[in-house]
Amino acid sequence: MPGLPLRPRVGVVKLTSCDGCQLTILDLEEELLSIVEAFDIVDFPEATSSRSSGPYDILFVEGSVSAPDQVERLAELRARSTLLVAIGACATAGGIQALRNWGEVGDWAATVYPDPSLLQVLDRVTPISDHVKVDVEVRGCPISPDQLRELLAALLAGRRPQLPDEAVCLECKRRGLTCVVVAAGATCLGPVTRSGCGAICPSFGRGCYGCFGPREQPNVASLVSRFELDGLAPDEARRRFAGINAWAEPYRDAIPRGGGARPELAAAGVPGETEAADARR
Amino acid sequence: MVTAAPPSFLPRAGLDRLIALLRDDGRRVIGPTVVDGAVAYEEIASTADLPLGWSDEQSPGRYRLVESPGPGRERAFGYTVGPASWKRYTFPPRVDIGRGRDADGTVTYEPVAPEPDALAFLGVRGCELAALRIQDRVLRDGPVADPDYVARRRAALVIAVECTVAASTCFCTSMGTGPEIARESADLVLTELDDGYLLRSGTDDGRRLEARLDPRPATDDEVAHARASVADVRRRIGDPVAVQGLPGRLQARLDHPRWAEIAERCLGCANCTLVCPTCFCTSVTQRSDLDSRDSVAVRGWDSCFSGDFAKVAGGSFRWRRQDRYRQWLTHKFSTWVDQFGAFGCVGCGRCVTWCPVGIDVREELAVIAPPAARRPLPMAAAAAPGDFTPARVERTWPETPDTTTLLLTDVDPAIAHGAPGQFVMVTRPGLPAVPISVSRYHPEGDAIELSIRAAGPATATLSSLAPGTPLGVRGPLGRGWPLEAAEGRDVIVVSGGIGLSPLRPAIDALLEDRPRYGTVRLYHGARTPNDRPHKDDLATWAARPDVEAGETVDRAGTGWTGPVGVVTHLFDAGRWDARDAVAFVCGPERMMQATVSTLEDRGLRPERIHVSMERHMECGIGLCGHCQLGRFFVCRDGPVFSRAELGDAFILEGV
Repeated sequence: MPGLPLRPRVGVVKLTSCDGCQLTILDLEEELLSIVEAFDIVDFPEATSSRSSGPYDILFVEGSVSAPDQVERLAELRARSTLLVAIGACATAGGIQALRNWGEVGDWAATVYPDPSLLQVLDRVTPISDHVKVDVEVRGCPISPDQLRELLAALLAGRRPQLPDEAVCLECKRRGLTCVVVAAGATCLGPVTRSGCGAICPSFGRGCYGCFGPREQPNVASLVSRFELDGLAPDEARRRFAGINAWAEPYRDAIPRGGGARPELAAAGVPGETEAADARR
Repeated sequence: MVTAAPPSFLPRAGLDRLIALLRDDGRRVIGPTVVDGAVAYEEIASTADLPLGWSDEQSPGRYRLVESPGPGRERAFGYTVGPASWKRYTFPPRVDIGRGRDADGTVTYEPVAPEPDALAFLGVRGCELAALRIQDRVLRDGPVADPDYVARRRAALVIAVECTVAASTCFCTSMGTGPEIARESADLVLTELDDGYLLRSGTDDGRRLEARLDPRPATDDEVAHARASVADVRRRIGDPVAVQGLPGRLQARLDHPRWAEIAERCLGCANCTLVCPTCFCTSVTQRSDLDSRDSVAVRGWDSCFSGDFAKVAGGSFRWRRQDRYRQWLTHKFSTWVDQFGAFGCVGCGRCVTWCPVGIDVREELAVIAPPAARRPLPMAAAAAPGDFTPARVERTWPETPDTTTLLLTDVDPAIAHGAPGQFVMVTRPGLPAVPISVSRYHPEGDAIELSIRAAGPATATLSSLAPGTPLGVRGPLGRGWPLEAAEGRDVIVVSGGIGLSPLRPAIDALLEDRPRYGTVRLYHGARTPNDRPHKDDLATWAARPDVEAGETVDRAGTGWTGPVGVVTHLFDAGRWDARDAVAFVCGPERMMQATVSTLEDRGLRPERIHVSMERHMECGIGLCGHCQLGRFFVCRDGPVFSRAELGDAFILEGV
């Protein structure tokens, strides 16, 4: 990680997203004063009316790339940033809106908008790492305040942020929770999902739905087999991956044709490389 | 040396007094209690918090609490171990170990002094005591002790409970950690009876506590009853892991292909290491303020299955799941012994139950590092090679042109109560003894059926014996079909020709106890319709609604309307899920090889495919040397083997 100046210039910008991850920054209420003291927030539309076109020492980018103008804008922002941090599932994986990648964008648009011709959107929703180099990814939908706090502290201290690449199971067991797969037959994506959430869902007796996306070396196929042994039909088991991080590999490969959408909308099939993946199966 | 006092007896109501005394002493009592559908170890205030009347069902990848049946419903310890372990209290998941400060140009570091509460652990099982001892070796008794562990461990009084129930995942017996508990290994040891507890104290603290409870001396009956129920647990668990020589065997198999195969199932999720009561791997992370002048070093449970665990700047040294699984298993059962002088496993079975995909270390160890030879069975009747018990031919009938079934009566009851797949040696004065598999047992009538193919002069003579003829029988010999391994699973039975005969008692047993098994599929192949043995049975089984049966012949004659072709054709197109099934296969060697290979292609694991091997057997007890097959004597260690334990001996010619 490059060396940062004493009071780094920070920008927070968004592409296609719900703003929830930016709001997590504002949720660090007790630290807000320390944050503005330690960082020079030059651009953060959710929080301040001051605007800057850079350069940024640290730029937080929320949201997926869904429209043509975002591609250009992202390239410009990258050029003006020393450190680019992707925050949230939209920025790191495409987000929930990437589910439209399993259909034809025209079909969706016609369902939603009276005059779809006014729309200027890309065929495919993608994470920002498909377009520019990303220095740090903070996962989750939304991101975790603890991980954000750790990232800020690590940037200031000059160390690698502790955003562990481990299964949700580790957080689950450290909390002393009982495994919902083994004790209740729940469909839980925890074993293939990255930690960071604090194992919220298992703490309420339900399975993880993967909002922090895949961890390293995830064995999706074996977990799908377990869901099938618990009685889920094969497509049903695979459809569990069609959520917030659906477009992240290898969740993406696991998802059946149609992306888990209603069958009549799935007629268009799986686009691009997933078609090849489907053929491999 | 204090002479151990005889055990005392505490009535059921006394347990509440015990808890109250401990609390009066200022201890937090940590004991079993039901949380989220499992037995957890949390602070308890009285026996009302204990899992009274609860029991558990455990199998690989599955755990359920159930209300325990029958008498003793109000038992407080009628289950085995849950996902939690005492490690949570002696070696917490996260603990602050040091503080760093940078103030006025001076950097200071100070360790965090542990200030543990005084605790009392109530309900520590034999395997769990062993786990505490193992963590003592690692964290306390080494060259450098961990101060946090030492303080917490010292602050806990340990009240152990002997197990009077066993889970299917338990293997303390193999690891030498239970179910019996020596009184010296805990402050107080309880053994639960229907109306109270047998008490034995092992330390001064325990003796003082016992005296304050004022128990009466236990009666001989109570002591005997307690011993018997713990002994019953030992018997039920058996000895599933052959630990003798295991560390060396495992080190010799670091390149076994099984590691990669396990990795296809392994999620790498780390659950096994986190539920393990001995795993001690941790990572220290720094928690710092945004002004960065103060920081706290936090030690947290980590796992060798995590991506970051063996990482350096260039990547992880163990980047594949197979590397990580191998690291874990070889540490537990091999390198731990080098490092700490004991196994890192206590046989509690948590890693088996709590693996979301049910990977069973007992099974994997048996495949990767099988023991050199299996232990012999105790002989039932007429063990010595020259000793036979008398029996009589009651009746005979032809099965096929060359095979005859003899119904023998007045056989030794031990033989009539033999196990499916076992065999007997049969003889008449003047004839050599011939090994014949029992093709049906009639235990209530002291009778058995033997189906004999007239392959040579002696078998031809035996086949043609007249009703009433006396003969000599030894047995039952060898190891039969492992029906217990099939419980709760789908069962596939594949036979070729007269190979149906040794399987017939297994099929009888499956159908007699039908609800214990999943789907039962029976496939039989014969050369021609005329060569089908046990024709009535084949028809009866095919007609049962709870059996899927299929038959084929190599060459159809007139009147055969069924399938023609090899037996594997009957099921290799079937759409059923074989991954969780168990298979029993018997027939000519080529047929078994083709069948096993097809079953493996369908996803059946080699340790769940069982075959009955044919060799020249004479003595029947592994003493004469004729029937050797690789490292096995077929007569003693078989004739039924799993595909996994046979290894190359199953496919190589001339072994």
